[in-house]
Amino acid sequence: MDNLKLAALKGKKRSVIRVGEIGFGEDFVVIAGPCSVESERQTVEIAQAVKQGGADMLRGGAFKPRTSPYNFQGLGLKGLKILEKAREMTGLPIVSEVLDTRDVSWMCEYVDVLQVGARNMQNFSLLKEVGKTTRPVLLKRGMHSTISEWLNCAEYILNEGNPNIILCERGIRTFETYTRNTLDLSAVAAAKELTFLPVIVDPTHGTGKVSLISPMSLAAVACGADGLIVEVHNHPEAALSDKEQALTPPEFEELSRKIRSLRAFMEALSERPSHGKEEKR
Amino acid sequence: MSLENIRKKIDALDHDILKLLNERAELGLRTKRHKTAITDDKREIEILDRAKRIAGAYNLLEPDFVEKTFKTIIEETRRIQGSPRTLIGFQGDHGAFGEEAVRRHDIQLVPIPCREFTDVFDGVESGDLDLGIVPVENSLGGAIAEVNELLIRKDLKVTAAIRLKINHCLLVSPDANYQEIRIVYSHPQALSQCRAFLGRHHLEARPFYDTAGAAEMLAREKPKMAAAIASRLCAELYNLEVIKENIQDHQENFTRFLVLSKTDRKDAPEKCSIVFSTPHKAGALFAILQIFAEAKINLTRIESLPDRTDPGNYVFFLDFQINDARANLDAILESVGQKTKMFKYLGCYREELFA
Repeated sequence: MDNLKLAALKGKKRSVIRVGEIGFGEDFVVIAGPCSVESERQTVEIAQAVKQGGADMLRGGAFKPRTSPYNFQGLGLKGLKILEKAREMTGLPIVSEVLDTRDVSWMCEYVDVLQVGARNMQNFSLLKEVGKTTRPVLLKRGMHSTISEWLNCAEYILNEGNPNIILCERGIRTFETYTRNTLDLSAVAAAKELTFLPVIVDPTHGTGKVSLISPMSLAAVACGADGLIVEVHNHPEAALSDKEQALTPPEFEELSRKIRSLRAFMEALSERPSHGKEEKR
Repeated sequence: MSLENIRKKIDALDHDILKLLNERAELGLRTKRHKTAITDDKREIEILDRAKRIAGAYNLLEPDFVEKTFKTIIEETRRIQGSPRTLIGFQGDHGAFGEEAVRRHDIQLVPIPCREFTDVFDGVESGDLDLGIVPVENSLGGAIAEVNELLIRKDLKVTAAIRLKINHCLLVSPDANYQEIRIVYSHPQALSQCRAFLGRHHLEARPFYDTAGAAEMLAREKPKMAAAIASRLCAELYNLEVIKENIQDHQENFTRFLVLSKTDRKDAPEKCSIVFSTPHKAGALFAILQIFAEAKINLTRIESLPDRTDPGNYVFFLDFQINDARANLDAILESVGQKTKMFKYLGCYREELFA
């Protein structure tokens, strides 16, 4: 990892990425929302539900990188306007994926955090383009990328002058076929050892199975992640994409409750007198 | 042509038909100034015969249908002519911010588009229009020199003032791709108010005579890779798509409009406007301001503009609040008149704010 001139931790202060009132790297940030923006009604309903359920930010795709060209490709600009409306109504900041370099400046008009998806992790023109903005970037790990490759992509963004990067582990391809991907939680701890950037976890794509989302979310909290990004849909069976891996609002609320309890425990754990001389908060 | 494309064309045509019907009704209203009776049988027969003749040349529509349609149109025009309507001229095409100010001020007024500011003044002076509305200043762009100059030259009175928040929108024609926009047409004031936005998207600013005019041109000529900056109302009027609302660099973007009339209106005013020039000697302006200071009157605007009839000299626009000083307003105006070289009373009025 010697080539990480900018991204390496090496005695630097851990960064806190501010998005509105939240700070990635300071608070544990829970991002929730639908895979795709399908309609204004669907998005606003889910936004209100996840806010109620304890989410700090809303996710939702307006541009969708789909495996097949015949699958739903997203609402595009119309989707961005719907996300803006959802923010207006709930106050939740928005993260949404950018696919095309030509969309970067327009996405910045609508969303608070630009997501570079797993499939575009090594799209170097896109990395340079988002690096030229000051908008925070959620950089997902590619499904066939090593930790080193992933961090080098953060290096690309930093090199263009944008220091606001949030890393996101979302599972990698292994010989295992039971799960959609293998969620590599060791990468979270490793990335936090190697860089000063906050790292969050996407258990939805990491497992592809609703039943595994809750346990892996708690494992993410335990291994030191700075947040989670999960898919929530009010009618998962009718969703236009990723229907088999979305939580319902009540399931999300339940998960949110568990996360808060575990967070409290983890904080108590790190505040033991033997651990440091800091005063108890 | 695919069904989808045909339907798009039909929608665009319907838009045009409605735009033309509205324009025809406006012209109908204006003929009222030139005739006494609303019905004119001879003229009606002329219109119907002509319509049937033209439709006959196209050879698809039944003469019966054409006659019925035009009779309905004439009937509607008569209905509109029959009720007393107040016409108010504004500069620009439909959808201009002047029209938005009119709608917020009084929905009963009928806004009539005028090409130039001077056309608004002339229309009111000649009685072709009942009222006029003109912008005098913008919170970012400053005074609108041409209008201020016309206020001195022409003999119209201010009967109302409107401060309107300007919400600029980036508009494109519905089949355009926002990724391909390179050029943006609008009034130079609007372009300068959105400079940072244009910079962020590497867009080239192209000045046009009017914001709504730019939107109308975009809809009509569909220039490649182009967008317009205009009001939200323009999107509806010209069948355009809003790419982004509120694109101005500063949200505190207000334009102050004045409503003009031939006669002064003095019911419960809040403000008064005057314009004057002073002799070229020490303390001349001070002497005027002293009158207001001694009467404890709050000045809300004082602006100097070069006097074009007398280069090297300046005229001063002064707005002040009328409250308890109302009783001695005439006395104050008289003493100001005595101490000035040129003096003109522009009017007493109320001012509304639309944020």
